[in-house]
Amino acid sequence: MDKTDKMDKKRPQWNTRTKITLYIVLALIYLVGILFWGLLMDPKAYAVDYSVKFLPPGAGHLFGTDLMGRDMLFRCVKGLSTSIVIGVLAAAVSSLIALAAGVAAAVIGGKLDSFINWCVDLCMGMPHLVLLILISFMLGRGSKGVMAAVALTHWPELTRIVRAEVLQIRGEQYVQAAYRLGKTRLSVAREHIFPHVLPVYLVGVILLFPHAIMHEASITFLGFGLSAEEPAIGVILSESMKHIATGKWWLALFPGILLLAAIMLFDVIGENLKKLLNPGSGNE
Amino acid sequence: MKKKMTVRIAASVLALSLLAGCGQRSQQSKDTQPQKADASSGEGIVCYVGHGFWDGSLDPIKGAYAYGYAFTNNALICVAPDSSYKGDLAESWEVSPDALTYTFHLKDDIRFQDGSEFSAEDVVFTYETVMKDQGSNEDVDLTKLREVKAPDERTVVFTLREPYSPFLDTTAQLGIVPSDGYDSTAFDEKPVGTGPWKIIQYDAEQQLIVEANEDYFDGAPKIKRVTFVDMDNEAAFSNAQSGQLDIVMVQPNYVEEEIEGMHIEKLETMDVRNISLPCQPAQVMKDSSGEDVEVGNDVTADVNVRKALSIGIDREQIIADAFNGVGRPAYGFTKNLEWGNAPETSDGRADEARKLLESAGWVDTDGDGIREKDGVKCTFEVYTPSDEQDRYNLAVAVAGEAEDLGISMVVKQTSWDEIYDTSNTGGVVWGFGQYNPVVIDQLFSSEKILQGSFDNKPAYENEKTDQLIGEALQAADHGEAVSRWREAQETFAEEYPYLFVVNIEHCYFVSDRLDISMDTQIPHPHGHGIPIICNMKDWSLK
Repeated sequence: MDKTDKMDKKRPQWNTRTKITLYIVLALIYLVGILFWGLLMDPKAYAVDYSVKFLPPGAGHLFGTDLMGRDMLFRCVKGLSTSIVIGVLAAAVSSLIALAAGVAAAVIGGKLDSFINWCVDLCMGMPHLVLLILISFMLGRGSKGVMAAVALTHWPELTRIVRAEVLQIRGEQYVQAAYRLGKTRLSVAREHIFPHVLPVYLVGVILLFPHAIMHEASITFLGFGLSAEEPAIGVILSESMKHIATGKWWLALFPGILLLAAIMLFDVIGENLKKLLNPGSGNE
Repeated sequence: MKKKMTVRIAASVLALSLLAGCGQRSQQSKDTQPQKADASSGEGIVCYVGHGFWDGSLDPIKGAYAYGYAFTNNALICVAPDSSYKGDLAESWEVSPDALTYTFHLKDDIRFQDGSEFSAEDVVFTYETVMKDQGSNEDVDLTKLREVKAPDERTVVFTLREPYSPFLDTTAQLGIVPSDGYDSTAFDEKPVGTGPWKIIQYDAEQQLIVEANEDYFDGAPKIKRVTFVDMDNEAAFSNAQSGQLDIVMVQPNYVEEEIEGMHIEKLETMDVRNISLPCQPAQVMKDSSGEDVEVGNDVTADVNVRKALSIGIDREQIIADAFNGVGRPAYGFTKNLEWGNAPETSDGRADEARKLLESAGWVDTDGDGIREKDGVKCTFEVYTPSDEQDRYNLAVAVAGEAEDLGISMVVKQTSWDEIYDTSNTGGVVWGFGQYNPVVIDQLFSSEKILQGSFDNKPAYENEKTDQLIGEALQAADHGEAVSRWREAQETFAEEYPYLFVVNIEHCYFVSDRLDISMDTQIPHPHGHGIPIICNMKDWSLK
C-alpha cells in the first residue's frame, strides 16, 4: 500500500480507476496468498519446539517464537487464513440471507415485510458480540460454533440496505409499467430490480468480510471461539497479552499488523468498488 | 458508518500492538535506571499470592482456609513443617481402640480476637454448625461424625458413626469460630478467630488488609500489616517491576525474568501433576442416576501402553521444556507427605518402552510413526483446562516425548465443564496435593467410579487396593492408617492408572527486605500460590 501511495504522489495523473485496480490487485494478492499459504501449510511448520522458546524476531524466525517455541510467522498466517475462510463463509451465507430477505420484504411487502423488519430489529437490538457469544457457546464453540455464529449474525444491516434500495426502485415508473404489462412479481424482481440493487449489494458483501474476521478474532480472543490450541489470530493475541509484561512485544505486534492489514485491504476494496460502481461518483 | 466501525476496530488492534511495544520500552528503561524505594514503606507489606485468593467466603464454617494452617482462625491441630500433625488449639488428643471416639484436650488461656475466651463450647458450636449445614461446606466432610460433646471446659469428645481415620486430618481443616460472636453474614468478610491475623478491610476482588493479632497465643506476628491485592498474574508482575509489591506469585515461565530488589523463591509443594489414563476398554456404563455414560478407551486400557508411557518419557526434559526446569519428577504421591509412597523407579527408558509396546502387539505398520494394533491406532486425547496454560504446556511436552515412543497424544484445551464429560474416555491433566490421604480413596477406589466430577476417572479396579483403602479408613491408630495408605499405593504402582509427571514448585518473587522464614514453611498443598501465607506470622523485615 505504501508503495502505491508513493507512486501515486509521483504520478498524480493516474486516474481513480487505475488506482483502484491496483489496490484491488494488491489486496487480492495479499489475501488470496495468505489464504492458500495457510490452507496448504504443513502443521509441522508451527509445531511446538521447546528448544527455541521466546526467540525475538530474527533470520530463522521472522516473527519470533512464543513460549512453546512455535514459529509466530507460520502460526499467524495459518490463523489469519482460518479467519479469512470464516470471513468468506460468513459473508457468503449472510449475503444470501440478506438478498433473499431484503428483496422478499420489499417486493412481497405486507406481513412478510413486517416480519423481516422485526427480525432485523431483533438482531440489531442486541449487542452483536453478545449474540455471537451466545450462538457460538450454544453450538459448543470450536470452528463450528464460530462459523455458525459469524454467518448467522451479519445479515441484518445488509438486509436493510437491500430492502431500502428495492423499495426505491419498485416505485420507479418503469417498474410499475412492467407490472401493468402483466409481468409476474418474480420476473420483475429478476429483470428490473435485481440488476439495480447489485452494485450496492456487492459493496455491502465485501464490507462484511472485515467485520466477520474481526468478530471471529474477538470471540476467540474472549475465549468463546476457536479452542486455544488451534492457531487463530484471536488466540494468538489473547496469549500475547500474558507476555507483554515481560517485554515479548513481537507476540502482539506482528499478528496485530497482519490482522490490521487484512481488514484495511478489504475495506479499501469495498470503498473503491463503491466509487467505481456507484453511478453518482463515477466521474469523481 | 461501516467504514468508521472498521477503522475503529482496526485502530484498537493497532493500539493493542503498540501497548506491547510500550511494555518492552518501560522494561528497558528500568534496566538502566536505579529503582526507586518501595512504595510500601513502614511496617506493612503488600503481597500478590494468586488471583482469587478471597473470592469465596472467609468463614471457616463455609470451608474457608481448609488447608491445614492458621490464618484468621485456628483449627484443633495443624500441619508441622515435616508434614506431621501437631496441636494447634488442642494440646493433645487420643483415639479410642474401637476408632470411634476422638478426645481432644485444649490449650489454656486462649482468647478470640473479640476478647472472649476460647473453650470447648466453641469447638462444639463450630462442629455442630457445620454438621447442621454440611451442604455449604464441601471442604470439611463431617458426615461420619455422629456427635460432639464437651464434658468440661478443656475437653472435646467426638463420636463417629463408623471408624474413619481421615477424621483426624479433618480436624486440621476446620477453623474454630466463637460461639457467642458468630455471625454467618459478617464472617463471610470479617471472620473472628483465635488466629494470628485480623481482617481490617475487605474489598471484594480488590484487596484484603490484615493486621497482626498482638495477643496471639503463639506469639504476635512480627509484621504488623499485610495488604493482599487481587489482579491478573501479568498485572501483578508489572506492579512488582515498578516496586509496589513485596511478594508476587509467578508462573514458572517467569522465573528467568529479573526484578530489581527482589529474588526468586521456589517453594516445595505436594502438588503432583498427572494425566489420568482410562483403564477400561471403551464401553457404556450406568452412572449413579442410572444414565448411560461412555467410559474407557481402547488404547490406554492396555496396561503396556500406560507402562510404556511412564517408563519411556523423560520427566526432567519435560520439566525443562514446559516449566523452565521448575519442579521435580514425580512417580506418585510425594515423599514430603507422611503417607506419600511413590515407587522407586527411573524413567527415560525409551528403548525398554518400545520393546514393551512391540511385544504387546503395538507395531507401526503403515510408517506414519504411530503404532497400531488390530487396526486400532495408538492415539488418545488429553484434555487440559483452558484457564491454565501451565497444564497445556505440560501435556504438550509429554506428548512430544510420547511421540518418540510411537504413541500419539492429541492435546486439547477446553473448559472444566467439558473436561468432566470427556474425562471418562480420555486423559486429563490433574493437579492433586493435600494433607488428607482420603484423596487415595477418591482416586483409586472402585466404589468411586462415576461418582464425582474427579473421582477415579480412569475407572481403575483392583480388589487389593480396595481392601487396603478400606483398612486404612477403618484404622484406629494414625500410624497404622498411614502404613495402610502406603501399602495401597504399592498395589497400583505397576498399573499406572495415572501418569504422574511432575511435583510442581510454587514460584514467587520476594522482596530482598523480606524474610519469609523458609524453616517454618510447610510443603504447600494445592492452592495456586496462596499457601505461602502458611507461616506469615514468622515473616520479618530485614
